[in-house]
Amino acid sequence: MKDKNKHIGMHLGTLGVLLGMLLTSAAVQAEPVPLEERLLLCGGCHNPDGNSVIPENPKLSAMNAKYLQRQMEDFKAGKRTNPIMDSIIPMVDESEFKALAKYFSEQKRLVGAPAADPSAPAVADASAPAAAGAMSEQAKADLVAKGQQIYLEGVLATAAPACGGCHGEDGSGNDKFPRLNGQNQTYVVSQLANFKSGARTNDPKGVMRAVAKRLTEEEMAAVAEYIFTLKEAE
Amino acid sequence: MKKLLSIVIVALFSLQAAVVVAADASKPKVYGKKGYVWDEMTPERTAVLKMGGDPVKGKESFRGCQGCHKADGAGVREGVYPRLTGQHASVLIKQITEIRAGIRLNPKMLPFVEDPAISMEEIGDIAAYLNTLTTVRENGKGAEDMSAKGKKLFNDNKCFTCHGKNGEGDAAKSYPMVSAQHFDYLVREMKWIKQGVRGNSNPDMVKAIAKFSQADLEAVADYLSRLPDYRTVTAAAPAAK
Ligand code: HEC
Ligand code: HEC
Repeated sequence: MKDKNKHIGMHLGTLGVLLGMLLTSAAVQAEPVPLEERLLLCGGCHNPDGNSVIPENPKLSAMNAKYLQRQMEDFKAGKRTNPIMDSIIPMVDESEFKALAKYFSEQKRLVGAPAADPSAPAVADASAPAAAGAMSEQAKADLVAKGQQIYLEGVLATAAPACGGCHGEDGSGNDKFPRLNGQNQTYVVSQLANFKSGARTNDPKGVMRAVAKRLTEEEMAAVAEYIFTLKEAE
Repeated sequence: MKKLLSIVIVALFSLQAAVVVAADASKPKVYGKKGYVWDEMTPERTAVLKMGGDPVKGKESFRGCQGCHKADGAGVREGVYPRLTGQHASVLIKQITEIRAGIRLNPKMLPFVEDPAISMEEIGDIAAYLNTLTTVRENGKGAEDMSAKGKKLFNDNKCFTCHGKNGEGDAAKSYPMVSAQHFDYLVREMKWIKQGVRGNSNPDMVKAIAKFSQADLEAVADYLSRLPDYRTVTAAAPAAK
């Protein structure tokens, strides 16, 4: 745990460097750099082990390598857009994608929120009551239960398919359907909303758009909460 | 001069006709539209039938379908999704390729069966796989037993000509098995076939059920939903467990 916290501190440092780079160089040139050096950039937002602790950023750990590579290619080609990744991807040369994808695909997926940092209790305490106030334990448990129902059974009234059918009951995915288990809730909700609105259109034949169109905002929040807790079957 | 003019006119005319035909060809013919022929082979369907199917590969490909049709292929008792187990492969191939071609109108299912969500080869694999499955879960039936009335309607209107005495259909002619299907699914599809909104209605079937009231449709659906899986009837051996 100590180790992870040290990492988080490091990310903030990298992020500073990164922002400085972004501000100084308007036209970024992609120069291939060795994997370890490149990981300093990615790790700042996705964590060095790919288990992003920033809720908006996806965990990349243990995802299918081909899926990760295609997402990078799609960002590069403008087929998938996001203000943050759009500013990062021009700095990365296409020849690096494969090794990056392989590296993150080989990391272990961690499920659940990172443990609170004991060395920074003031920050944790300050944010904890606000978070608890936002949702009681009971409300959260209800949301997870509702999410589980959607994940495993779908929604009959709107013909929304069960997520587990494709992504696997334990969310571990395969080479056709990406891993979901333990993914950050905020990220999952944003992707579902983007599929529904048509902001993300790089899913083959609109399969995920067809799924997300059949979900309400509440259902998205519930299923994302469940996915966050979902552990891969041993 | 006059001759030349008429040649030009004829040429223009046939050009226009060609354009119209071309536009027509790109738009699938559905029931009620001129030129619709039930069971007309599409190039894709011919190709899939020729390829055959691999049930082992089909099990893996079925993954993209089981979010709705469930891992056992038995759909849901409410009939929102039909039971597919034991259906003739030829029927499944006909229906999937016709949905892809826009002949059977099923917008809810379309994105999940279009290429590359499902490739052409996978259609045959999935159909072969589903055909091998038996259903363990009980199917949805009518709220009350209307099977006596349903049976009479089924026989009086000679539904068995195509669907068979045990609701077993006919694999060679792509007539679907309708026994042990979910009640609500049967009611809905008969209604949609009758109204033509399903797209690929069989005109003879539309005629056969034209006079059916809602109560009649429900009685027939209830009768069929209570028929056992045809394979347990036609096989001499008793049903497994
Ligand atoms: C400044 C923060 C930041 C940095 C640095 C960053 N990313 Fe991202 N990344 C994001 C965000 C935010 C998203 C979510 C995009 C969205 O919402 O569509 C994302 C999404 C992705 C995805 C899509 C994941 C999925 O599940 O679909 C991949 C792959 C990815 N990043 C790879 C990388 C790689 C490789 C690097 C290093 C070269 C990197 N990122 C650096 C913020 C960052
Ligand atoms: C028919 C199969 C299918 C079903 C059912 C399905 N998905 Fe997906 N999903 C996909 C595919 C395919 C992708 C990958 C899209 C791509 O390659 O860009 C995907 C991608 C996603 C992503 C983006 C992953 C990432 O890392 O960016 C999320 C989130 C997601 N699905 C959530 C869900 C949820 C929640 C449900 C249930 C309500 C669901 N899916 C049901 C096929 C499916």
